[in-house]
Amino acid sequence: MADTVTGRPRTAREAAEAQAYGLTSEDLRDWAPFSPIEIYWARKHDLTPAAARRWAREGLRVCDAVRAVALGMNPQEARPWADAGFAPCDAVEAKQMGVPLAAALAWREAGFIVPDAALLIHDGWTLEQAVNARYEG
Amino acid sequence: MLSKERNRLLCETGPGTAMGELLRRYWHPVAGAAEFGRPAVKAVRILGEDLALFRDKGGNYGLVDRHCPHRRADLTYGFVEERGLRCNYHGWLFDHTGGCLHQPFEETRHPAGRFRDKVGIKAYRVREKAGLVWAYLGPEPAPLLPDWDRYHSRGYKQIAISQVPCNWFQCQENSIDPVHFEWLHDNWSRALRGADGPRAPAHQRLGFDEFDYGFVYRRIREDTTEDDELWTTGRVCLWPNCLYTGHFEWRVPVDDEHTLSVGWFIDELPGDTPFGQDVIPCWYAPVRDERTGRWIDSHVMNQDFIAWVGQGVIADRSKEHLGESDRGVILMRKRLLEDLDAVAAGRDPKGTIRDPAVNHRVHLPIIGGLNRPAAEDGPRPFPFLAGQPDEVARGFERAWRDCAAAVPDELTAGG
Repeated sequence: MADTVTGRPRTAREAAEAQAYGLTSEDLRDWAPFSPIEIYWARKHDLTPAAARRWAREGLRVCDAVRAVALGMNPQEARPWADAGFAPCDAVEAKQMGVPLAAALAWREAGFIVPDAALLIHDGWTLEQAVNARYEG
Repeated sequence: MLSKERNRLLCETGPGTAMGELLRRYWHPVAGAAEFGRPAVKAVRILGEDLALFRDKGGNYGLVDRHCPHRRADLTYGFVEERGLRCNYHGWLFDHTGGCLHQPFEETRHPAGRFRDKVGIKAYRVREKAGLVWAYLGPEPAPLLPDWDRYHSRGYKQIAISQVPCNWFQCQENSIDPVHFEWLHDNWSRALRGADGPRAPAHQRLGFDEFDYGFVYRRIREDTTEDDELWTTGRVCLWPNCLYTGHFEWRVPVDDEHTLSVGWFIDELPGDTPFGQDVIPCWYAPVRDERTGRWIDSHVMNQDFIAWVGQGVIADRSKEHLGESDRGVILMRKRLLEDLDAVAAGRDPKGTIRDPAVNHRVHLPIIGGLNRPAAEDGPRPFPFLAGQPDEVARGFERAWRDCAAAVPDELTAGG
């Protein structure tokens, strides 16, 4: 979870930041250890503190968790991707763009990170076409 | 990596293009208000449109087609009048809304004909804010011109504008690319100085968070932890064409091969006595060293310019090899592509503000807070762009001295 929440001590500056997002000290306490901007974004998208923490345990930051929930994902879906050495947020990207894990592995082997590959796959590119295009001309 | 078609979609901003339509949903800074301290007219080219920006003697700003609709003469050579801009060729007069107010010979020959009512000129909305002149080239109703909280901070403000000979989008990708700081600015600056010492602290981890007005990017370097503001607060890729790190750097497309870099800077001043600036100075920063013909490399933003123009006039993204450091760049591309769909569907793109209740000192994350302390060692040289005029540097030093003099001795003793 340490990688996915800002996890800082409550400071005067954070209090000012919280105020800018219309958050109270109770909000900060209820949402600890998320930062004000994360809390704001979570609440704007109806993500509860418990859900945000659950997604954070799988390695997803709040903005990725919001996307994941919108896609109807559950937190366990990120695990196979993490186990395969992908960033947990790649699971969300892949889900949104319709990229199966096997395809992501093949594209990674050829030097394409998931969000890059996903956009190309979404546009109808094959891996061979993408590799060739890099060195054309 | 992008297909050539996707690349064009993101890069082309002229009238009728998808990205052009998207960017026309936002206000863009096009000049410094200091340039219009008295009635004036200047040529402005943005989003591929040639325009004449003027402030008439009545105080109205206007942004109209550069060419008179009569026989296409250049209105930037026109007369600025009490109400509008008059063409120097045959005297046709246009006001800031684009209406034709006077056609001398036509009205002499056919006073009842009112030919002028049948003639108008393309005109866009213009506003002045934070020392900048802003233009809106999109459909009505225009969104609100954002009132960012930083505009209200206490400090010495200045505006610097450069024209960079490359496409806007490679400039803006730079605003969500944390690792370039380590190499382009830290390590390369050391190398340029001939420093032989160790390299800058390396990046260890990056994070990107979306919020209403863009993305926050976070970084942890070898010398920082999760408790550092570089991670807890981060910096802002401000939608759709700005970087905000306490100062603003807008990247306004001039056309598809040139970008106006508009920087808005603020230097904190000692003490807390009220400080106001009647005029925020605006200056034009050179990008090329006239003696050598090479790009200027001495200042932070000049180094950025070198990277951008080095990518080509329009970067060919079909030959890229994107890695982990480029996650932010891909995020931005994808979000902009989604915005193109939103605009095509008649919706507002990300970050537009329409609620006046919201548009009051709108908060943006800032490392160090809005009221950062002044540098302890006195006014520092301007680090961002080469070519700062002496009078601007002197203005800052004068402001510093005046504010420092107002600080009680016990607060500065030993400092």
